[in-house]
Amino acid sequence: METVEQKPESRFVSIAKNIWQNYSVVVVFVIILVVCGIAAPRFLRPENLLNILRNTSIVGVIALGMTFVIIAGGIDLSSGPVLATAGAVLILLQRMVTAEGEPAMPLWIPILICCAIAVGFGFINGIITTKAKLPPFIVTLAVGIIARSITIYFCRGATIIGNRIPEFTRIGNGSLFMIPIPFLIAIALLIILHITLTRSKFGTYVYAVGGNEEAARYSGIKVDRVKILTYMLVGLCTGIAALIEMSRMAAVAAVTSGAMYEFEAITAVIVGGTSLSGGKGRLIGTVVGFIILGVVNNMMIMLNVSPYLSGAVKGAVILFAVLIQRRER
Amino acid sequence: MAKLLSMQGICKSFFGVEVLHDVNFEVEKGEIMALCGENGAGKSTLMKVLAGVYLQDGGDIYLKGEQLAAHADPLERQHLGISMIYQELNLFGELSVAQNIFLCREPRRKGGLIDYNRMYDDSAVLLKKLGENIDPRRKLGELKIAQKQMVEIAKAISFNVELLIMDEPTSVLTGKETAILFDLIRNLSAQGIAVIYISHRLNEFTEVCQKVTVLRDGYYIDTKNVPDVTVQDIATLMVGRTITESRVADFSGDPDAVMLEVKNVTDDKLRDLSFNVRKGEILGFSGLVGAGRTELMEVVFGIRKPETGEVFIEGQPVTVKSAIDAIKCDLGFVTEDRKESGLVLCRDITENTNYIFWQKSKGLFKNKKTTAENTRRMIDRLNIRCQGPDQHVSNLSGGNQQKVALAKWLLADAKILILDEPTRGVDVGARQEIYHIIKELAAAGIAIVIVSSDLQEVLTICERVIVMHEGRITGSLISSEMTEEKIMYYATNV
Repeated sequence: METVEQKPESRFVSIAKNIWQNYSVVVVFVIILVVCGIAAPRFLRPENLLNILRNTSIVGVIALGMTFVIIAGGIDLSSGPVLATAGAVLILLQRMVTAEGEPAMPLWIPILICCAIAVGFGFINGIITTKAKLPPFIVTLAVGIIARSITIYFCRGATIIGNRIPEFTRIGNGSLFMIPIPFLIAIALLIILHITLTRSKFGTYVYAVGGNEEAARYSGIKVDRVKILTYMLVGLCTGIAALIEMSRMAAVAAVTSGAMYEFEAITAVIVGGTSLSGGKGRLIGTVVGFIILGVVNNMMIMLNVSPYLSGAVKGAVILFAVLIQRRER
Repeated sequence: MAKLLSMQGICKSFFGVEVLHDVNFEVEKGEIMALCGENGAGKSTLMKVLAGVYLQDGGDIYLKGEQLAAHADPLERQHLGISMIYQELNLFGELSVAQNIFLCREPRRKGGLIDYNRMYDDSAVLLKKLGENIDPRRKLGELKIAQKQMVEIAKAISFNVELLIMDEPTSVLTGKETAILFDLIRNLSAQGIAVIYISHRLNEFTEVCQKVTVLRDGYYIDTKNVPDVTVQDIATLMVGRTITESRVADFSGDPDAVMLEVKNVTDDKLRDLSFNVRKGEILGFSGLVGAGRTELMEVVFGIRKPETGEVFIEGQPVTVKSAIDAIKCDLGFVTEDRKESGLVLCRDITENTNYIFWQKSKGLFKNKKTTAENTRRMIDRLNIRCQGPDQHVSNLSGGNQQKVALAKWLLADAKILILDEPTRGVDVGARQEIYHIIKELAAAGIAIVIVSSDLQEVLTICERVIVMHEGRITGSLISSEMTEEKIMYYATNV
């Protein structure tokens, strides 16, 4: 049996080591901010920074839920298409008007249905992965393809314009005390989910299932239920993201709404230091992760980089962020 | 003339623990040599040194009088004529029979492409030599286990083998298949190929082997000619001449206070097993590896589904279909492999000790204060040496990991505790501590079932032992009757 020798080390070294081990993503983030500030001074203007937060919040909300799924050892590739499906239903219901031109139903009904549909897709993902014992990569990929196709069919491949009532468009475009409402939603969700992950029993079981499924099962943890709940949670987050996205444009594009969002969300989670093999990770890392992605997107525009090259830069940033966090096992 | 094989003064340590002490071992050309010993006697290690899987720390190996280069290279040893057939066959199910036989040495055409026709022809010739009619084009995964073994032997022969090592080849075979294998072994021997044969079935030795070498605790004990020894003699050599007796008083609690009763458990590995354990009793399960002890405990804990069988707790019939049910019945199970199924290594001590406690307590949220108190109490009670409750379990030593795995069940107030190999990979000091804890728990009225392959351990703490052999209970002894020899006698079922 190997035992780990504990060498005495100075207090300062151990504190510095602790910060580096637990918050290296924050260090990466600060490096990126400094580099951006020097390269383009306009970047640091408050309105630019707030704009970044607004733009990045939609993927960010999905990434929060995705963190749970990935910590539990799963993955969800259906988020983007599910966002489009739930969003399309939201727009279709929201644009219905009475003969007098008033909305046919109060706004909360379409919002609720939108979220319920997204949660429903999460439930389907969870049930199939756990009960049929199929890899989540394949299940969610297939479910995503189905969701996208259904959306395109019902929208006949077109873009559908919603009802531009202010109470609806304000959700995605408004601000409260200068701070963009989408970002406030993300922060509120972060607080709730952070408490869930760190203080609730469910949160602990999520780590246990991702860390060692077998040991979790022997400890009586209802492994399948925990997994299904994580998929439903990312579904709920996707529903909320759909609401923000639809509200920003007051329209849904059957083919392009939410396209690639699942990958951006997964990227944010990984850049945030959560391990794809499960059992490790934290939400604060994910928040820094999606803000880093937002900053990188923003800098491309600031520095007039050809949009065709944005993927190359993003890929390099991901590799850099993950490399710097890599530790010897 | 020089012996075919001569191993002189072989020493080997793992992680500072010496598992082979100065072992000598010799085999003549064409000889069938049995190698036997208890679990952990060093048989497999010695053979893996010979096959080039491990490099010895000291000692020399001579083949036909020539010293072998001291580096671990199985392929080189195979080319020298030494092949080993492992218990878990090293074959690829998705490749064809011929591809398996010629893996990494495929015959080539000019230009480098594989000459499949030659490969199939050569394979067919090799298999025919063994009296087998397997189509070399078939996928290996479709074959029966006995046929797979033949493919392994064919592979060994294709290296012009002079010395064939077989590690428990019959453990997966039926009686008829075993007879065929024995014929084959005799046949190989007649062709001048020496066979080293490892098995737990002592009566097989007298049937097929000419000589038998016994190892015990990593020491070479003796080599005997088979006609001169009985199976009992071999068993005695395996456990040693000194008779170690139990150091535990007989169970003195209420003999009628049965906590757990298991009746007629049967499945493909278990044959109609029944046992009970009483309040405050420490019951041991002894036997050789593969006797079905762990499988039986998995049935009790609801992880494994038997074909038939009933479980009673305090006289009441219960259905245990999952770990969740078992926990509801106040059953606890510290598994054999703590890394695989006992602990979540990447999480801290607090979480690992409280998983079951949290499930038994009410509410959606963890109570920070209770949780911290629980952990602190367990660290003190079990003397878990750590930097603090938030230390990751992966950084603890084996003994302390085992204590954490145990703490989880103590917090859950388990009334029946199953401990599978509770001191495997645990150092001597921590081992005594764990024994002490187990005795304390029993004194507090917990019924304890210990599965152990370590005879010393059984003699040290168990008040009663049930011995199993190949899925059957072959004996039951109370502590005043227990000796290593008796347990070994039942375990080998001679």
